[in-house]
Amino acid sequence: MTRLSEIKVPDVGNVAEIDVVEVLIKVGDIVVLEQTVATLETDKASMELPASSAGKVQEVFIKPGDKVSEGTLIATIIADDAAVAAPAAQPVVEKVAAPVAEPVAPPPAAVVATAPVSEPAKLPDTPKSALGKAHASPSVRLFARELGVDINTLSNGSGRKGRLLKEDVKNFIKNAMSNPQTKAGAGIPSIPSVDFSVFGEAEVLKLSKIKRLTGQNLSRVWLNLPMVTYHDEADITDMEAFRNSLNAEKVKGEIKITGLMFIIKALVAAMQQFPSFNASLSSDGESLILKKYINVGIAVDTPNGLVVPVLRNVNNKSINELAAELAEKSEKARLGKLMPGDMQGGCITISSLGGIGGTAFTPIVNAPEVAILGVTRAKMQPVWNGSEFVPRLMLPLDLTYDHRVIDGAEGARFMAVIKQNLSDIRRLLL
Amino acid sequence: MSEQVQHAEVLVLGGGPGGYSAAFRAADLGKQVVLVERYPVLGGVCLNVGCIPSKTLLHLAHIIHEADELAEYGVGFTKPNLELDKMRAWKQTVSKSLNDGLAGLAKQRKVTVVQGVGQFSSANTITVQTESGSSTIQFDNAIIAAGSQPTKIPTFPYGDPRLWDSTDALDLKEIPKKLLIVGGGIIGLEMATVYHALGSEISVVELMDQIIPGCDKDLVTPLARRIKKQYKNIWLETKVTSIEAKTEGLQVSFEGKNAPESELFDAVLVAVGRRPNGLKISAELAGITVNEQGFIPVDKQQRTNVPNIFAIGDIVGNPMLAHKAVHEGKVAAEVISGHKAGFDALTIPSVAYTDPEIAWMGLTENQAKLTNIEYDKAVFPWAASGRSLSMGRKEGLTKILCEKETGRILGAGMVGPNAGELIAEAVLALEMGSDAEDISLTIHPHPTLSETFAFAAEMITGTITDLYVKK
Repeated sequence: MTRLSEIKVPDVGNVAEIDVVEVLIKVGDIVVLEQTVATLETDKASMELPASSAGKVQEVFIKPGDKVSEGTLIATIIADDAAVAAPAAQPVVEKVAAPVAEPVAPPPAAVVATAPVSEPAKLPDTPKSALGKAHASPSVRLFARELGVDINTLSNGSGRKGRLLKEDVKNFIKNAMSNPQTKAGAGIPSIPSVDFSVFGEAEVLKLSKIKRLTGQNLSRVWLNLPMVTYHDEADITDMEAFRNSLNAEKVKGEIKITGLMFIIKALVAAMQQFPSFNASLSSDGESLILKKYINVGIAVDTPNGLVVPVLRNVNNKSINELAAELAEKSEKARLGKLMPGDMQGGCITISSLGGIGGTAFTPIVNAPEVAILGVTRAKMQPVWNGSEFVPRLMLPLDLTYDHRVIDGAEGARFMAVIKQNLSDIRRLLL
Repeated sequence: MSEQVQHAEVLVLGGGPGGYSAAFRAADLGKQVVLVERYPVLGGVCLNVGCIPSKTLLHLAHIIHEADELAEYGVGFTKPNLELDKMRAWKQTVSKSLNDGLAGLAKQRKVTVVQGVGQFSSANTITVQTESGSSTIQFDNAIIAAGSQPTKIPTFPYGDPRLWDSTDALDLKEIPKKLLIVGGGIIGLEMATVYHALGSEISVVELMDQIIPGCDKDLVTPLARRIKKQYKNIWLETKVTSIEAKTEGLQVSFEGKNAPESELFDAVLVAVGRRPNGLKISAELAGITVNEQGFIPVDKQQRTNVPNIFAIGDIVGNPMLAHKAVHEGKVAAEVISGHKAGFDALTIPSVAYTDPEIAWMGLTENQAKLTNIEYDKAVFPWAASGRSLSMGRKEGLTKILCEKETGRILGAGMVGPNAGELIAEAVLALEMGSDAEDISLTIHPHPTLSETFAFAAEMITGTITDLYVKK
């Protein structure tokens, strides 16, 4: 007995448009359960779509470059009952790679109303017309053309019966301008292209989507935020001694405590004292949105690019819990399995290069967060204690903040508290 | 022979409606413009040997017909006294006043008009053969508006003065007793209307199975019925195989489904379409792509494959209509002047100035049937229009096609006196994205023929009271 089953795009979260990157099946192929049939990519993640049933591919409805959304029919499979004896698994988003350090975290309800709306302007839902043309008069079409807007991509207009008006085109432009998808640097002279082959052999390597989106986001932040980076050093001699003694107690297989856990705790304690560091500026720049929760993003280097998994409600978690959570999320990030939700909702970010080296750097704020803490490698240094030089383990810290929200003195005080917390971790009990 | 070099920011090749519109628009946008035109007057085919003279003569034909038909209603006239020389002079007066108007408009805008035949010599120069010799014009940008000419059938005896094209027919040299019109399209039937009014016995031969091919059959039928009574013959699905010049006339042989025996005519008008002039301007020396038929492919900005050379009007494709050329000409001028213009019209309306007139725009029903579009159709008969009846005419129809789901107008067609004037409202409705409700809720003056458009829309919305439409 045979029967026909359909493979559809599963619910991947609140994502309007998903790009089809690769189609791995063709008509006539025999697929087994869970076999990857296509690679899909959203702004935030790429995923491999597993076959939800086994059998022979009857028809494939997508091709690379298509845009799909939840429920889009991918393929029909002539299932043969013998082959599907195994329980048909739900389509699972198997591999989610590498979202970008993107500020689109859906914040808790209380904040939604005022949070900067960084949702991309919606493009689909063009009013249906047999002529395939937008519902707009010639003058509005001309206006759109002048502004470089493809009017056929505009959604329902505000005029009578959904007619697109000049105002709709203007609003579209306004949205596009404040839309994080828009290439930052519009109006800024671009860097001229150079024919490198003139100077020697060169190869063109396409950037991954994550890298491109990270780049756009960083450029946008660079252009929009007046940022200041403040450098200091924390004495972590005692902290390290304590940490080493803790790890010595651990039995084999238990997760070791890293210095980063103490840095997170020290940072969170400082944020509780300085609410403006746990805040975002409203998109109109007129008010500060103070968050009553503390989520900390940790920048993780992965083969696919930079990702920032977020540890939630860090103030309510123990160091052991945090260590376990971060270990798990870092592993997922490196395997490209982070879900978009794992990377949303951060309040502040830590970027640690301590494992590699360095003395100082200037991290870029992950807006709409207002600050980022950079960490480089701790070094034993001679420190003058008033009467002599003593060897102390010093940890360089770099705090970049949005100067629109945080004053220089406030930044310095915030850093001082972090330093104190790290130098004497008993303070974290206070 | 003097060789002089002139420079133009914008060079326009061809002074027809598309060409002069492009030239004037470019000048208004601050460009220094040179317009090259082979004839001593501006206006091209349209103004000199096309739209305008044909409409002047059609107006006279209309009066002749109408005066004749009024006898039935109690107003009898004696047979008109037709003075061909005066009629021709009148026609020329109309064209001349427009020629003069254009010359004035060119002068006011400081557009330099060069009379001569222009041919490209490179992507930045054009050579103009003038009466006094040849001159070269260098240009930054060019707009080709070199138009089209009547298609000729090579085996026909073109040297014979009794074998006409539309230009000859408009010359009004004589009224042939028996006139054969080869081609039952718009041009052929308009000339048929004129010569029928002037007293010729008209026969029409058409290759396709209906006159005005491409137009919906229901719109053509009232015209077909009327001219069937007026004309001697209308042979459809028939082809002329040969025309032989004899002293007593042109001997024409036919072939096809309804082919008659070979017959003698006093004159034969060949109106089988027009051919673009793309192959006559040495486009290859400028590197411009021209296809086999002589059309020059362009993009939405009217740009050819050569970035500084644009083309508009008949030479870029069908339909070969002045109003299309004018809009395209303005787009080209605006793009050259740095505006983000584009040819973006949803439809180009068509009008046959026959009696009755036929006009249509947007999607025809023939086209709609070929698509998967679900549409509603309404046809309002002018027999229910007081205005039409009071004019003594009841054969007219107004048809409207609307998308089923949204009610938005897709296309419309009209047949009846003044249909050509009435279609403009439908074009506006389409461009504005109106639906049947918008049209039916718009108050149209009573009693007018324009009401029929609203009535047809009411038939779609189900609100019509001027007819009883069974549900």
